[in-house]
Amino acid sequence: MIGRFASYLRRKSDPINRIPPLALWSPRARKLIGALFLCSVLGLTYRSYFRNWVPLGPQRTVATVNPKMGVHTRLTDEPDAAKIKRSLEMVREMGAPWIVEYFPWAYYEPRRGQYEWSHPDLVIDHANRQGLTVIARLGYVPEWARPEDSHHLYLAEEDYEAFGRYAVEFVRRYRDKVGYLIIWNEPNLSLEWGFRPVDPASYVRMLKVVYPMVKAAAPEVQVLAGALAPTLDPPGSEWSMNDLDYLQQMYDAGAADYFDILAIHAYGLGFDADEPAGESVVNFRRSELLREIMVRNGDGDKTAMITEGGWNDHPRWTRAVRPAQRIINTARAYEIASTEWPWLENVCLWVFRFPWDQKSYQDYFTFVGADFEPKAIYLEMQEYAKGRFEAP
Amino acid sequence: MKDQERNGERDPLQGAQDSDDRQWLVAGSRGDRWAGSFVRRSFERGPRLWIAVFIVALAVGGWLILRSSGPAVDETWLTMQERGSWRVGMDPSFPPFETLDGEGAPVGYDVDLAREIAATWGLEAEIVAIGYDSLLDALLVDRVDAVISAFPYNARMTKDVHYSPPYFEAGVRLVVGADAAYGTVEDLDGAGVAVEWGSRGDAIARRLQREGAGFSRLPFESTEKAIEALVSGDSDALLIDGVTLRLAQGEGKQIRAVGAVLDEDPYVIAVSIKAPKLQSALLQALATLDEEGQLGLLEERWFGQVAGSE
Repeated sequence: MIGRFASYLRRKSDPINRIPPLALWSPRARKLIGALFLCSVLGLTYRSYFRNWVPLGPQRTVATVNPKMGVHTRLTDEPDAAKIKRSLEMVREMGAPWIVEYFPWAYYEPRRGQYEWSHPDLVIDHANRQGLTVIARLGYVPEWARPEDSHHLYLAEEDYEAFGRYAVEFVRRYRDKVGYLIIWNEPNLSLEWGFRPVDPASYVRMLKVVYPMVKAAAPEVQVLAGALAPTLDPPGSEWSMNDLDYLQQMYDAGAADYFDILAIHAYGLGFDADEPAGESVVNFRRSELLREIMVRNGDGDKTAMITEGGWNDHPRWTRAVRPAQRIINTARAYEIASTEWPWLENVCLWVFRFPWDQKSYQDYFTFVGADFEPKAIYLEMQEYAKGRFEAP
Repeated sequence: MKDQERNGERDPLQGAQDSDDRQWLVAGSRGDRWAGSFVRRSFERGPRLWIAVFIVALAVGGWLILRSSGPAVDETWLTMQERGSWRVGMDPSFPPFETLDGEGAPVGYDVDLAREIAATWGLEAEIVAIGYDSLLDALLVDRVDAVISAFPYNARMTKDVHYSPPYFEAGVRLVVGADAAYGTVEDLDGAGVAVEWGSRGDAIARRLQREGAGFSRLPFESTEKAIEALVSGDSDALLIDGVTLRLAQGEGKQIRAVGAVLDEDPYVIAVSIKAPKLQSALLQALATLDEEGQLGLLEERWFGQVAGSE
């Protein structure tokens, strides 16, 4: 073997094996190569620009017997334009005219003053084209707007204005397409308040900063506040504050003039939709107690929206119901909103679809699978929206 | 000889075809000519040195390869041996896989499975009760050595988690009476298929109908009523998940699954990706338990015997 290797080395220097120098290209060849290079550059540029683009399609409208039907979509982490479009088409086809969608501040203003709107453009444009009304939920603090190593939901009061500027930029861009903004999510949970003790007065200070900024930029945009997690934790809990107490403390801190609509989270857990409300129970009709607090505080002229809620049919989650109960309760929830609660503008139930399976109880809140296969509840709500729903 | 070789006046390679070798040599001659010449001269001056260098390089390369592919230290396994126990996380809220008995002790199929596996290693199984949605986090921060909790396979987690082969298939099956002739969905033209309204089986039945299956879907408000419809002859088949099927069989219902699983949902054991020794030991233990029939016995203990089986 070594002999062959040595022989190879010797023969490499043999003049007969030397590669002759390349002949100069003719002008015609050079033109051809230049044209090919230009085509490649143009092709790659086109592909790069349009690789995540799908046509919006014709303007559609939602056909439904109940215009208060809605869902919370979860397209934040869905990068594929075709899947975004398909999700929103399926919402329309189900008969729900309303969606809530999350637009995290950290995603779209990754550096102070630098905005990246391509993903929200996709979601909002496709939603509009499907005839859906978008309620935009804002939150999630970018690194530059919070202390190092702090939680992504931690926002110091001195940075409320930075959050307000994001909200202003959002409404400036989308004021013709998005008419509703939810300011923060579930601030009565320590988890959602940057793992600090919850503080209704501080949340109201956030509203007092952000609300006037939004109204100055786009007076017609309606600002939603609250979005409180229904919870029964006792006073002094390190994890959360009872949503009824929190809302009252919001009013005590002067919140009334700094929001237009109350956002409500209405989970039914193991109870039927018609289970009566009670201060010591978390169920769908707990929304009525929040409404009473609004009225009691002179805010009865305002409306409310259910921006999260619903039932879960996971086989082992202790707060789940059977699939049949989930269907009946969901239809009933839409019906209650339509016939009993004139103060409620819509019911947007959690959650239409996840981009991928969570492999947890969360998957059993969805209406369609990650692969877009409609669950039975989706098909039944489609029937409900057509006025043909009937339990077997 | 040396001069002759330097001048390129030498015989062609022994046994080589002229044209073939020419092509090969031209391709090879694109390298550094100076380096080739240097190596050639050095080799001519001291071939033994080059042979020695070659042997040393081979030895070092082999050592490096063996070192990099050798068994890594498995801290989880070592700690288990020192502790004398295997910490298994589970959410004891899903009978008969795992629940708490009257005295608050964990019992169930998964509990016994953990104990059987640990016993093959001469260890005790230490059951750690954790909420279902925190089980993987507990594994990732080493609060437990494994998760056995009717736990599903999750392809998105395989970067951090190693999953065992399935020990139970909970996916949706086509179920028929013990003596029924149906073998697949295609056999069901004109038949009535019971489902629990709203369930995964219901969604699959609707999909199959959209795809052209010729059966009628018969929705019932509960699984129990759907099973009863099959047993009583009100329906010809049933679409239910593997757990419900096995429980019904254990209760003496004369029903059986036919055809392939329609929607796979395997239950697996999760261990850390950084525990290779534990992974291989787990694989071996499961294979042993299966060969010895222990897995079947465990299933019978917690689900009951399948009616009609020995």
